[in-house]
Amino acid sequence: MSSSPTDGPASLVEIVMPQMGVSVAEGTIVEWSKRPGDWVERDETVCLVTTDKVDVEIPSPAAGRLARVLVEPGDTVAVGTSLAELDAAARPGEAHPEEHREEPPPARRGEGGQEADRSAFHSPVVRRMAEEHGIDLSSVQGTGIGGRIRKRDLVAMIESPGRDVEPPEEHERPLHIESPYRPEAPAPATEANGDRVPTGDVLPEGRREAMSPMRSLIAKHMTESRRTAAHCTTVVEVDLSRVVAARKELREGMERRGVPLTYLAFVASAAVDALNRHPILNASIEGEEIVYHDDVNLGIAVALDEGLIVPVIRRAQRLSLEGLASEVYELAGRARNGALEPDDVAGGTFTITNPGQFGAVLATPIINQPQVAILDLEAVVKRPVVVDGEDGDSIAIRPMTNLCMSWDHRALDGAAAARFLGDVKDRLEGWEAR
Amino acid sequence: MAEMTYLEGISDGLREEMRRDEAVFCLGEDIGAFGGAFKVTDGFIDEFGADRVLDTPLAENMIIGASIGAAIEGMRPVCEMQFADFISCGFDQLVNVAGKLHYRQGVSVPMVVRLPSGGGFSGGPFHSQNPEAWFVQAPGLKVVAPATAADAKGLLVSAIRDPNPVCFMEHKGLYRHVKGDVPEGEHAVPLGEARLAREGGELTVIAYGSAVPLALQAADELDEDIEVLDLRTLNPLDTEAILASARKTGKVLIAHEATRSCGVGAEVASLVSERAFESLDAPVRRLTAPDVPIPFSPPLEQAVLPQLDDMKEACRELLAY
Repeated sequence: MSSSPTDGPASLVEIVMPQMGVSVAEGTIVEWSKRPGDWVERDETVCLVTTDKVDVEIPSPAAGRLARVLVEPGDTVAVGTSLAELDAAARPGEAHPEEHREEPPPARRGEGGQEADRSAFHSPVVRRMAEEHGIDLSSVQGTGIGGRIRKRDLVAMIESPGRDVEPPEEHERPLHIESPYRPEAPAPATEANGDRVPTGDVLPEGRREAMSPMRSLIAKHMTESRRTAAHCTTVVEVDLSRVVAARKELREGMERRGVPLTYLAFVASAAVDALNRHPILNASIEGEEIVYHDDVNLGIAVALDEGLIVPVIRRAQRLSLEGLASEVYELAGRARNGALEPDDVAGGTFTITNPGQFGAVLATPIINQPQVAILDLEAVVKRPVVVDGEDGDSIAIRPMTNLCMSWDHRALDGAAAARFLGDVKDRLEGWEAR
Repeated sequence: MAEMTYLEGISDGLREEMRRDEAVFCLGEDIGAFGGAFKVTDGFIDEFGADRVLDTPLAENMIIGASIGAAIEGMRPVCEMQFADFISCGFDQLVNVAGKLHYRQGVSVPMVVRLPSGGGFSGGPFHSQNPEAWFVQAPGLKVVAPATAADAKGLLVSAIRDPNPVCFMEHKGLYRHVKGDVPEGEHAVPLGEARLAREGGELTVIAYGSAVPLALQAADELDEDIEVLDLRTLNPLDTEAILASARKTGKVLIAHEATRSCGVGAEVASLVSERAFESLDAPVRRLTAPDVPIPFSPPLEQAVLPQLDDMKEACRELLAY
């Protein structure tokens, strides 16, 4: 490296492109770190030079004030070329009109320096409190770092007299999903004709009657079940042609034996059959456990004037079609005569309901707790359906019904429910006496 | 009540339990004739005899293994690691055998491992560690870390009576520096319950062991509205107390002398951010030793272990946030 005084004014020192290795003949100025007028210490870097191999920082040969820059950044010059001139006679501290003053280093955080503006950042608790108290955060002056709004700023605001912020919601929402705190839901306000629903005091006059004990029990059980089970309803369409034919064939003989043969008996028989292959439907939920029952105790919903009652056919899996029909007839009769024993209505494991006798075609029944499903037989209706004919698809008139089953999603999933229903459907559509 | 040091509290609790229950005995290196490296069992051999105050070979693996065997047979061993650091030699017995016997075979292992821990006296990397997080991470072990003389006694008594293996972290720096009123006679402090050491509304410092007196001193000197929660038991954590305080103040600093990564502070921070997120007004922060061995050199050790000024600075920053 060579930097030497020149022959010019005695005080001017030349800064030249140094020899940066034996094979290097020239260098390119990348940037000047000093500008004319800057004070430069001896050996302080004045500029950066790049060669085909390396970047080199060029130190000042003497202390002084940079007088002139002779080579601009980007220019390539030969080794030994003069790059700049330095006034070695100058004194530090003498203000030069063009002297470059360095910006003071940015103050470190937490040392009283200027903080970044953080007034737009809101912590979780600040957001929650603002929401609860209806506070517009843009109107709050924060006292935290960088003007951040702190919890204490909001507390002070809420507690200050004459504040014009709304009181918190009466029912504070849970802080997090695991909170044991569960506020009571406010009474639901339903809408009628766009107006608020008339409450008890403004209902139109009418007759009042206490619920019968049975009614109030049903009310209790049904709401309880709705609250308890994860209800889901699956529906299959069933072609009952073969069942209708079988019924026609068997009906007379059975009636002679005093047993009326209904469609319900066929469905019960098919269902009991399928329950043996799908034990998850013949089950109940006890706490965190599912109990799979050995026997099918089939509940049959019977509509009485006072309300619904569900007598139970015990060990239904042992009964033939006629046996089931006979039991249904017997239990329904006793139910209508008010002759059921308490045991007759207890211990069911699966329930069939049959509102279809009144012409209904679809329903979403409520499960009889603690069972996991209830099967609903709807009206048998003649409908045009597409069937497989000898010459491809054709339209036929068929006695159709819907089997609607509500099931508890806690115990099983939709696929299991559909498989079970498919099984029942297949048995009914391909009915054969056994 | 009697004024005792933290160390005397430990001795008193151990003595009371040995008097109360013949099944309780202690074993360890030089705990008998010599009275223990820190004199916790000083005089025990005279009162209880060499059959109940056993001097063992320098073999931590054997000390813990023998304790497990005795516990299974109905005894209640209290074994001493001369320094908590040496527990690594008995790790397999403690973590894999003692901690899992109940889960594997339904066998209860009522034993206590006393672990004199902590630095601050230029003990170097083998005599200054705070290894509690190892055991908090090992299912089947309870971990206790008292900060006061009364808790040193009361928690040791409960640890001895507990049907599980319990690691009892006793901080050497507190042995003779912490003094306080200790109930005489029977005194048990339930495991799993934190202690509200100082009530405040602006910031919660959650600490245990040697960080508790540090936090209290910082709070007093700063004269700010700082709450200090002394965890006392590290496993099981008193989650309700932690969450209640975090929700109250919205700012949480967790302080311990142990190293940082995956430590008790990390667990508490995770708990707070998971379950008290909507109450937070500042990032949850930790004041811990960095992840390095404890240096022997006094100035380096000071730089590594959290000091009073560090505690005050951390509190100030969170208060100002």
